Amino acid sequence: MSDDAAGRSFSKAEIAGQGERTFWGRLANWPLYRGFTAFLTASPRRQFVILAIFPLIWVLTQHLGPMLQMLRVSLTDAYPVAPGTEQHFTLQNYTRFFGDRIFWQPFFRTLIFAGVFTFCTLILTYPVAYFLARHVSRKNQVLMLLLLLIPFWVGEVVRTYAIMILLGNTGAVNMVLKWIGLIDRPIPFMYTSFSMGVGIVYLTALYMLLPLYSALEKLPKSYNEAAADLGAGAWTRFRRVTLPLTLEGISSGCTLVFLISTGFYATPVLLGGPSTTVFAETIAGFFHVAGDQWPTGAAFATIMFAAALVLTGIFQKLMNSLRKGDTK
Amino acid sequence: MTKLILNRRNFIGTAAMSGAALASPVYLRRAHAAGGEVNIWTYNEFVPTAFKEQFEAETGIKVNVRLVDDQGKQFNLLAAEAPNPSVDIMTVAGHRFLQFIDSDLLTPLDTDRLKNWGAINPTFSESDWATINGHKWGAPILSGMEVLSYNTELVTPEEAETWDTLFSDKYKGQTAYVIQDMMSIVMLKMGYDGNMVAYMDDPAKAAEIVEEVKQYLIEKKPLVRKYYDGGAEVQQMFVNQDIALAQSWNGPAAALINDGFPLAMSIPKEGSYGFVYTFNIANNAPNLDNAYTFLDAILASPEIGASMTKASGFISTYKGASEYLSDIEKKSTSFPEEQLANLQFFRAEANDMKYKLIDPAVEAIKAS
Repeated sequence: MSDDAAGRSFSKAEIAGQGERTFWGRLANWPLYRGFTAFLTASPRRQFVILAIFPLIWVLTQHLGPMLQMLRVSLTDAYPVAPGTEQHFTLQNYTRFFGDRIFWQPFFRTLIFAGVFTFCTLILTYPVAYFLARHVSRKNQVLMLLLLLIPFWVGEVVRTYAIMILLGNTGAVNMVLKWIGLIDRPIPFMYTSFSMGVGIVYLTALYMLLPLYSALEKLPKSYNEAAADLGAGAWTRFRRVTLPLTLEGISSGCTLVFLISTGFYATPVLLGGPSTTVFAETIAGFFHVAGDQWPTGAAFATIMFAAALVLTGIFQKLMNSLRKGDTK
Repeated sequence: MTKLILNRRNFIGTAAMSGAALASPVYLRRAHAAGGEVNIWTYNEFVPTAFKEQFEAETGIKVNVRLVDDQGKQFNLLAAEAPNPSVDIMTVAGHRFLQFIDSDLLTPLDTDRLKNWGAINPTFSESDWATINGHKWGAPILSGMEVLSYNTELVTPEEAETWDTLFSDKYKGQTAYVIQDMMSIVMLKMGYDGNMVAYMDDPAKAAEIVEEVKQYLIEKKPLVRKYYDGGAEVQQMFVNQDIALAQSWNGPAAALINDGFPLAMSIPKEGSYGFVYTFNIANNAPNLDNAYTFLDAILASPEIGASMTKASGFISTYKGASEYLSDIEKKSTSFPEEQLANLQFFRAEANDMKYKLIDPAVEAIKAS
C-alpha cells in the first residue's frame, strides 16, 4: 500500500457510491434502516435495553417461568385437573408439611447432609485447587484442569453407577481389602449415608474446585513471600494470608455445592439406603408413586427451595462479615 | 416398573427371533402400507426390536417408543397431556385400569378391529378384571407376579416358603423390596385382604389395617438393605451380592435365572399377587388407525409373545408362546401347582380408597 493510498480519505459520496453496489451497502443506505438503527442506538439506556431483552426473556421463560408455575400448582387443590372437576386455591399443601412431623425428618436430614457434604467437598478439593493454582506451571494448568474435567463429560447417573461398581460387595474397594487380607467378608458400603456421601462429593467436586482455583490463582505469590520474610511459618501464612484472601472462592463454591446437594435425586435413590431418604425423594414420591398429588409435591419443593435460599443467604452474610473483618 | 439388562443371552435370543420372524409368513403384509407413526409408552423390551423393525418396514408406520418405569408416573404424564395426548398406546397394569378409566384417559378397545384378538389366551383376555363397564380396555400381553426371589447359594428353598424369612434377623441387611407392593403382601401375610375390596364398606377398618402394616414395616426397617423401585435395581443388587433375597416381580428375576445366575423364585405359602400388563389405546389417540394396526400385528404370532418373554422374563399371554422358549426359559417362567394355588390377582375395585391410604403410609415408612 503506498503512502498516497494509505493517506487518502474517502468522501461520503464515494463510500455511498461503492456501498450501493452490494445488498448490504444498499441496506445501509436505506433511509428507513438508517432511521431505525439511529433510533435503537440513540442513547446508552436504549442500547442496554436492547442487549438485555433476550437474556431477560430467556431467564423469565426458562428459569423463573417453571418456578412460578410450580408455585402456582402448590397453591391449588388439584393438578392436573380431573375431567368434570374444578381447581381451587388452597394453602393445605403447605400446612400438610408443617402439620405432619413425619416429613420433617427427610427435610432436616437433607439440609444436614448437604451441609456436611459441602464441608467434606471443601476439605477435599481445597488442597487440589491449591496444588493446581500454586504449584503447577501455568503451561500445565490447562492440561491438569482438563484431566479433572474428563469425568464430568459423562452424565450424573453414569458416574453414580461408577461409584456402585467401586463400593459394591463385589466392587473394587472390597476386592482390594480382601486381597490384602484386611477383611474376610465384604464391608456393606452400599446403600448407606457413606456411599451416598461419596457419590455426592464426587459429583459436586468440580463446582467447588473451579471457584477455589480461580481465587487461588489470582492470589499474588509475593503476598506469601512477604509474610515469610516477616517470619510467618507455613501454617500462619495459610491462616493469615491465603485463607482470608480466598474466602470469596470458598463462599461461591460452598453456595453452589450446598444448593446442588439439596436438590440431588438420582444419586440418593441409587446409592442411598432406607435410612438416608432425602427430601427430593419425598417430593418425587408425590409426583409419581403417590399418583395424583402434584400440588403437595410442588409445595414441598417450594419449601425446600425457600429453606435452601435462606440458609445460603445466612451463609453469604457470614462470609461477607468474615471478609470485612479481615480487611479491617 | 421394570428396567431389564440387555445381556448376551437376550441379544442372541433377539437375533434368533429376528431370523425366525424373517423366515415366517409375512403376517404384517396384511396391514396396508399406511405410513405415519404410532407413539407407544411401554417398559423396556416390551416391544421386541425385530418385530418393530419388520413392522416399520412392512407398514411404513414409524414406531416411537418412550420408555416408562412406573404406572403412577405414566398416569401423571397422560393426565397432564389430556385431553390431547401425544401417545397412542400405553402399557397399563390390569389392576390400574380403573384409575385411568375414571380419569377419562383410555378409550374402550374395539376388539372387532383386531383380527388376532383370539391369539390371546382366554384366561387373560376374558377374565373378570379385563372387562369393566361392559368394555375391554386393553390387550393383555404379559403377566407377572410378586415373588420371593432368593440367591440359591445363600438361602434354602424351605426358607423361601414364607415371607417371614424376608424379615428375619438371619438376613439382616441382605433384603430388598418395593414398599408399595410389600404393603399388599404384608396385609395378606397378616391375614387381611391386600386388595382391600373386603373393606370397601368399612374405611375405618381399612385405615386401621394400613396403620398396622405401616407400623410393622417401620419396625422391620433396620433389617432391610434397600427399598427399590425398578427391576434393574434388584437385578443389580443380586448380581453384586448386596442382597440374598428380595420381594420382586418374576420378570427381572427370570431374566437373571435365564442368564445362569444362582437365583430361584417362590410364591410363599402366605400368598402373593399376580398382575397383567396390557396395551391400551389412549382417549383421543392422535394415530388411532395406526394404533389398531400395531396392536393387531403384535398379536399376530406366538413367536412375538415368546420374544417378549425372553427379553422381559414375564410370562406371555399368547396361546402357544411357550413352544418357542428354551427349557431354562420355560422353567424360569413356570411355578409348581401348589405354589400357584397361593396366587391371586390384584383387583382394582378398592384402589381409590386403598392408594389414598397406602401412598402416605409409604412416604411415612421411607421418611421414618
